[in-house]
Amino acid sequence: MTAKTPEQITNDLLRPLSGISARYVFWAALLAGIAVAALCAFLYQVYSGLGVSGLRSPVFWGFYITNFVFWIGLSHAGTLISAILRLANATWRRPVTRCAEVITVFALSIGATFPIIHLGRPWLAFFLFPYPSERGLWPNIRSPLLWDFFAINTYLISSVTFLLLPMVPDFALVRDRAAGWKKKIYSALALGWTGTPKQWHRLETAMHIMAIAVIPVAVSVHSIVSWDFAMAPVPMWHSTIFAPYFVAGAIFSGIAALILAMALLRKLLHLEEYLLPIHFENLGKLLLVMSLLWFYFVFAERLTTWYGNEPSEMAVFWVTQHGSYAPLFWAMVSCNFLIPFPLLAIKKLRTITGTAIASFTVVIGMWLERFLIIVPSLSHKYLPYRWGTYRPTWVEITITAGTFCTMVLLYMIFSKIVPVISVWELKAGRHEEPHALRLARQPDQVEAD
Amino acid sequence: MAHQWGMAIDLDRCNGCEACVVACHAENNISTVGEEQAALSRAKHWIRVERYYEGEFPDVRVKFTPVLCQQCDAAPCEPVCPTFASYHTSEGLNGQVYNRCIGTRYCANACPYVVRYFNFYNPIWEKPLQLQLNPDVSVREEGVMEKCTFCVQRIKAREIQAAAEKRELRDGEIQPACVQSCPTRAMVFGDLGDPESEVSRLARSSRATKLLGELGTRPKVNYLPRDSWHDSENA
Amino acid sequence: MPIPGAIYGLFSDPSSAERGMDALSRAGIRPDRIVVMSAEPFDEYSFSKMDEATPMPWLAAIGGIVGGTCGFLLARLTQEGYPFPLITGGMPLLAAWPTGIVTYELTMLGAVLTTVVTLLITTRLPNWKPKLYDPEVANGKILIGVLEPSDATRTEIEGRLLAAGAEQVKTTVGDVAS
Repeated sequence: MTAKTPEQITNDLLRPLSGISARYVFWAALLAGIAVAALCAFLYQVYSGLGVSGLRSPVFWGFYITNFVFWIGLSHAGTLISAILRLANATWRRPVTRCAEVITVFALSIGATFPIIHLGRPWLAFFLFPYPSERGLWPNIRSPLLWDFFAINTYLISSVTFLLLPMVPDFALVRDRAAGWKKKIYSALALGWTGTPKQWHRLETAMHIMAIAVIPVAVSVHSIVSWDFAMAPVPMWHSTIFAPYFVAGAIFSGIAALILAMALLRKLLHLEEYLLPIHFENLGKLLLVMSLLWFYFVFAERLTTWYGNEPSEMAVFWVTQHGSYAPLFWAMVSCNFLIPFPLLAIKKLRTITGTAIASFTVVIGMWLERFLIIVPSLSHKYLPYRWGTYRPTWVEITITAGTFCTMVLLYMIFSKIVPVISVWELKAGRHEEPHALRLARQPDQVEAD
Repeated sequence: MAHQWGMAIDLDRCNGCEACVVACHAENNISTVGEEQAALSRAKHWIRVERYYEGEFPDVRVKFTPVLCQQCDAAPCEPVCPTFASYHTSEGLNGQVYNRCIGTRYCANACPYVVRYFNFYNPIWEKPLQLQLNPDVSVREEGVMEKCTFCVQRIKAREIQAAAEKRELRDGEIQPACVQSCPTRAMVFGDLGDPESEVSRLARSSRATKLLGELGTRPKVNYLPRDSWHDSENA
Repeated sequence: MPIPGAIYGLFSDPSSAERGMDALSRAGIRPDRIVVMSAEPFDEYSFSKMDEATPMPWLAAIGGIVGGTCGFLLARLTQEGYPFPLITGGMPLLAAWPTGIVTYELTMLGAVLTTVVTLLITTRLPNWKPKLYDPEVANGKILIGVLEPSDATRTEIEGRLLAAGAEQVKTTVGDVAS
C-alpha cells in the first residue's frame, strides 16, 4: 500500500463507483424484492390489525422489538470504532472508519422504523413528538419509550453528520473526475469544497469534537433501550445489569457486523490492498475481548439470579436454560462464545475467513440474545395462570428478513455512490503517522523533509 | 374527601360461575374473539376467573380467583405509557384513555397481573348482536389497549345523579357489572376512603390480603381467601 | 462580483510545495493573498499552518449548554402540563431522572448541531463558485498560488514557483463584472 501514489489510491478506491455489473443488478433486484415484500407485509398488518402477527397475551413484544434492539445495537459499530479509534489515534483505523459509520447510519435508520412497525396504531406515532396540541397534552417523559425517542433521534442526527462531514472532500474528488449529470450531483454534494488548509483544519476539528460527543450519546442510547425492559417489573428484566450489558452487547454485535461488511467489501470491490489482514486481526482481537465481556455479563447475571432463587425469576431462568427455550439459549451461547472464542483466540485461525465466520455467528447469536431477553421473561410473569408462548407468523418473519435485505441493499447502493474507504483519510495517514512518530522520537529536531 | 374506589372479593364465596365475566362483556362492549384467537390467548376478559386445582382425586380442592384490574395506587402501567393513555384519576382509579393509546403495549408488559388486553383486530359483533352495545361505553378499535375500569361509566352516572339530587352517595349504591351479577355476593365495591363502608370493613378483616402485594403496586382489590395464604400448601 | 485572477503552481509532493510556499513568502506576498489547496490534509507541513485557530470547541460547548437548557425547559414545561396541568390523582408530577435524561440528550444534540453549523459558517460552505480551483488537485497535486497578483510581480512569481519545483504554473484571468 505504501508503494501506491495518491493517484493510484484514488483510482482504486473510486473504481467501484463506475459501472454496474449484471451480478450487482441481480442481487440488488433480489434484495429489493424481499424488501418490498416486507413493506407489503407491514401494510397488510396496518390494514388488518396486529392480529396477523404472532403476538398475544402475555407476550406483547416479540420479533419487532427484538429487531429494534438488535439493529440499534448493531449501529454501535460505527461510533465506537470510528470515534474511539480516532480519539486513540489508532493508525490502522483509516480504511475502516467509513465502513463502520455507514453501518451505523443504516442500522440506526432501520432500527428506528421498528417502534413504528410494532405500534397498534402507527398512524398516530406522532403522539410521541412533543408538540403543543389542542388537548394541552404532552408526551409522558417518565416513559422509557420517550427517552428512546430523544436518544435515538440525537444519535441518528449525530451519526449522519459524523458520516456526511468527512464525505465532503471525497465528493469533491468524485466531482472532479465525473462528467455530465453525475458531475452536477457530486458538485452539489461537495458544497464547493476546494481543500484549503482552513477547510481541512475546520473539518478535522469538527470531527474531533463530534468523536468526543458521539461516544457518550452512543452509550446513552443503548442504555436507554435497555431501560425499556429494566424499568418494568417483569422477572429477569428488572435488573441493574441491563444498561452495561446492552451497551457491551451492542458494541459486540457492531464489531461483528463491521468485520462481516469489510470481508464482503474486500472480496467484492477488490480492496485486497486496502483492507489488510492486520485490520481483521485487530478487529478480531477486539471482537474476542467483547465476546469475553459478553460471556462475563451473562454469567454474572445468571449466577446472581440462580443464587437469589426468587421463584418468579427462577421460572424464567429454568425455562431458558432447560425448558422450551433451551435450544435457542445454547445456540446463542455457542454462536456468541463457544464458536468465536477459538476462531479469535488462536492466532492461526484469526484470519480474514476466521474472523468473518466468527462475526457471522456472533450476529446470529446476538439476534437470539435479544429474542431470549424479551420472550421468555414475558411468557413467564408472576401469575402462572397467565404464562404463555409466542410463535412468529409469516408477517413478522418477512419483515425481519426484509430489514436484513434492506441493510445489504442500502450498503450496495452506498458503495456505488461514495467510496467506502475514506480516500483523503487514507492518503493523510501515509504521511501523518511517520511524521508523528518522528516527532515522538526527536521533539527538538522537527523538520519536515 | 375524594372517593377512593376499591373492591373486596370473598374467595370463600366465589364458586367460579363466571357470571361476572359475562356481565362485564355485556356492560363494557367487549367483543368475543372467536375460538382461534382465544386459543392464541387473545380473549379480552377484563375480569377472568383463575382456577387452580389442589390435590389428587378424590381430595381435589379447586380455588377460584377473579382477577381484574387492581387499580393500583403505584401502578407500574402508568409511568411507562408514552402518551399518558394510562393515568391515575383523582378518585384512585387507573384510567385508560382510548383516544390517546397508540398501542405500544408497554403497559401490558409492565402489568404484573396481566389484566390489560389489546385489540389485535377490530372488534366484530355479528348482526343483530350490535344492538346490545351499551351506549355509555365506547367501542375500542384495533390497536388500542383496554382493561377493567371499575365500570367508571356507572360511577360517573351515579355521582352526577347524586350531585343533581344534592345528596351524598350511599354505600353500595354504585355496583359495577361484575359486582351486580355475582350470585353469591362474593364481590363488594365501595369507597375505601370511607371507613364505615362495607368494602373498608372487609379490607380490615384478618383474612384480607392483596394479590402480588409484595411487588409494591398497592392494589385496591382486597382478596379474602378461604384460608390464609400462608396456611394453604404452596404450589 | 468579479472573480479575481490568480497565478498558481501545481506541486506533486509536499516537500516541493513547502519550497514553493517559502519562495512566495520571501517574495513578500501578503499571507492573506496566498492560496493553498490539496486533496488531503497536510497538517504537519508548514504550508498548511494557517487558519488553525478556531473557537469551534467553545462554540460547541455553548451550543451544548443551550441545548441542555432547551431540554430542561422542555422536560419541565411538559411535565408541569403547560398550559393545562395533568390530573394524576395525587401522583407526583415532576420526575428528576427523566428530566435529566432529556436534558442530557438535547445537550449533546446542541453540541453536535452547533459544531456542524460552525463548520459550515467558518469554511463558508456551501460555496459552489469558489474564487479559485483546479481539478488537478483531485489528482493529488498541491496548489500554491497568489490571488490577484499585480501585473508587475506576475513573472517573478512564476519564476519562483517553477524554481521551487512546480510541475506547472497556470494563470487565470479575472472576469470583469458585466
